[in-house]
Amino acid sequence: MLLIEADGKKLLAAYGIPVPRGHLVTNTESVEQLPGTGPWMVKAQVPVGGRGKAGGILRCDTRESVSFATKALIGRRLKGHEVRACLVEEVSTGEERYLSVMVDPPSYGIRVIYLAGGGVDVETSAGEARSGRICSPDIHAITAAIAEIASVEPARTREVITELGRRLGQLVIERELVLAEINPLFVGAQDGWAGDAKVVVDLNALDRQPEIRALIDARPEIYLDAHRKIHEGFDYVELNPHGEIGLLTTGAGLSMMLIDELTTRGRRPLNFCDVRTSQLRGNPQRLLRVLGWMAERPSLRVVFVNIFAGITDLREFAGLLAAALDGTPDLHVPVVARLVGNGAEGARQILAERRPDVFVEESMETALDRVTATTAGIVQ
Amino acid sequence: MIQTLTHETPVLVQGITGRMGRSHTRLMQAYGTRIVGGVSAQPDKAGVDGVHVFGDCRSAVAATGAAVSIVMLPPFQVRQAVDDALSAGIRLIVTIAEGVPLHDAMHIGRMARAANALWVGPSTPGIAVPGEMKLGFLPDVALRPGPFAIMSKSGTLSYEVGYRLVRADLGQSLWVGVGGDPVKGLRFADLVDPFFSHAQTEALILIGEVGGNEEEEFADSIARHGLKKPVYAIIAGKEAKEGISMGHAGALTYGDVGSFASKVRRLQNAGVYVFETIEGLVNACVRDFASAPTRT
Repeated sequence: MLLIEADGKKLLAAYGIPVPRGHLVTNTESVEQLPGTGPWMVKAQVPVGGRGKAGGILRCDTRESVSFATKALIGRRLKGHEVRACLVEEVSTGEERYLSVMVDPPSYGIRVIYLAGGGVDVETSAGEARSGRICSPDIHAITAAIAEIASVEPARTREVITELGRRLGQLVIERELVLAEINPLFVGAQDGWAGDAKVVVDLNALDRQPEIRALIDARPEIYLDAHRKIHEGFDYVELNPHGEIGLLTTGAGLSMMLIDELTTRGRRPLNFCDVRTSQLRGNPQRLLRVLGWMAERPSLRVVFVNIFAGITDLREFAGLLAAALDGTPDLHVPVVARLVGNGAEGARQILAERRPDVFVEESMETALDRVTATTAGIVQ
Repeated sequence: MIQTLTHETPVLVQGITGRMGRSHTRLMQAYGTRIVGGVSAQPDKAGVDGVHVFGDCRSAVAATGAAVSIVMLPPFQVRQAVDDALSAGIRLIVTIAEGVPLHDAMHIGRMARAANALWVGPSTPGIAVPGEMKLGFLPDVALRPGPFAIMSKSGTLSYEVGYRLVRADLGQSLWVGVGGDPVKGLRFADLVDPFFSHAQTEALILIGEVGGNEEEEFADSIARHGLKKPVYAIIAGKEAKEGISMGHAGALTYGDVGSFASKVRRLQNAGVYVFETIEGLVNACVRDFASAPTRT
């Protein structure tokens, strides 16, 4: 998961990599405590690359314009993410470089990239991402690799880059990061500092990375999806707060595919969901949570339940679904349940008795047709 | 090695005394997998369902001759379990756990590579040779011997495809769930040669996801080997938002890297048939193979 820049910079600073003095604005009124005398950069804190090109980074010469910029950015949606905070920093000047250290899946190693040119386009270029050096995942190998690729620089710059690279490598190894990227990396006469920070953390390692866990815990609104995963034990990602179709599904790949297929049909799914039926263990709690979140959205038109039960017994699931629907009186939309696998016939009978209003389907195509027709306002 | 697995291949279950280990040992046995031993840190002298439980892989391998193991342990214990298996001479290890830390996976990959062993996982429902055996929990209802070798990042999406093939009286020759994590054992590209050279396999089905470079590596590998058998593919996550991971840690795109468009373009350039819907993929498989005799 990508951290916002402000949190990425906290990690860089903790490993001795200089960052500009900054102030995080979450409230559009509080822009008094700005660092230095300006000019400033106002940067939308959303976990996505290419913020500058999308209009999320603004240069401001006066306090008034900072105030104006934060008001304009906070609350806006940028590349699909709501802006909830802006980082305000003094404008940096210096030569720009690019430095990143990341896990390289096919080699089971670490990839180190250093580009003397720097530049905002590098992160979107697949060709550049495959360049650099690959080394074993230990700090000596990473440092040696950086020293080697920074050898194009004059001696003093090379020393600065190598030391910053060593610290960045140590951060990646010790905090079990997926990626740490500094772009731009500013280089002055005697030192270097991080103009931006793109840090991707491994949520699977959180239980043994308390510092990272604390960063995520401190911002429940910004890291909403990660919070849900940590505290609820399953995945639920709201894709579109104005979505029409609530998905109560199990399996990440199938849930993604259903979102794609519904979107292709011109519909608007509300969410991604991998509820993990094998972990319900006779308790409707997760289903109640999911249906409760969906019921809060006025745009909801239909709930689509899709469960392929390889191991799970659908009769048990049907009982839990009926209980969860009974326990969500605010849900006033049709429910289409496509149930296939172990115990499907028994599940159909259970729902027919307890919740005859649920449309039970065996075929996914028929279920998709019904969901699509319901949201299109066609009464069947 | 996967293509040589049969109902006679001796298999160890590491973590056999846990809740998952017990239930899946029974289900694998019922499908035909020959489980010859279990491994547990707290060896159960009475055994589990008649399977003898050993304290470590070394003693289990010495007593049973097993060269294949499946790890049914929580994610933080997987690295140690793989180390144990490799040092006992196990040549094929399937780890099903979701949530294995990325850096652990990196070290597991390095260990397996150094030992010249095959690793499948993490975060996978496992592998199967339909009609012979399965390692993991691919659902029986989706398994049937037939002409298609399936490789998939997703469990559930592959079940859906497998199930629809079965409903159309088709089936699978081999099935490998490579898993949805970015750092893993076998990758799509590693399966090109084994699947192309497998006599019972007539066509390949690739079930991919946005994120990472595996589909692109697969396309490059096809370009090197030549397209020896037809390949049908589907990629989930077309609508995934940049920077947002949906369930699978590997399904995360940044910029153009790992994007849907990049994968589709590269696969199509390699001669792969890419479909936008499950229905489209299955219909094409049925159209091209429904009348073909099924070799078992």
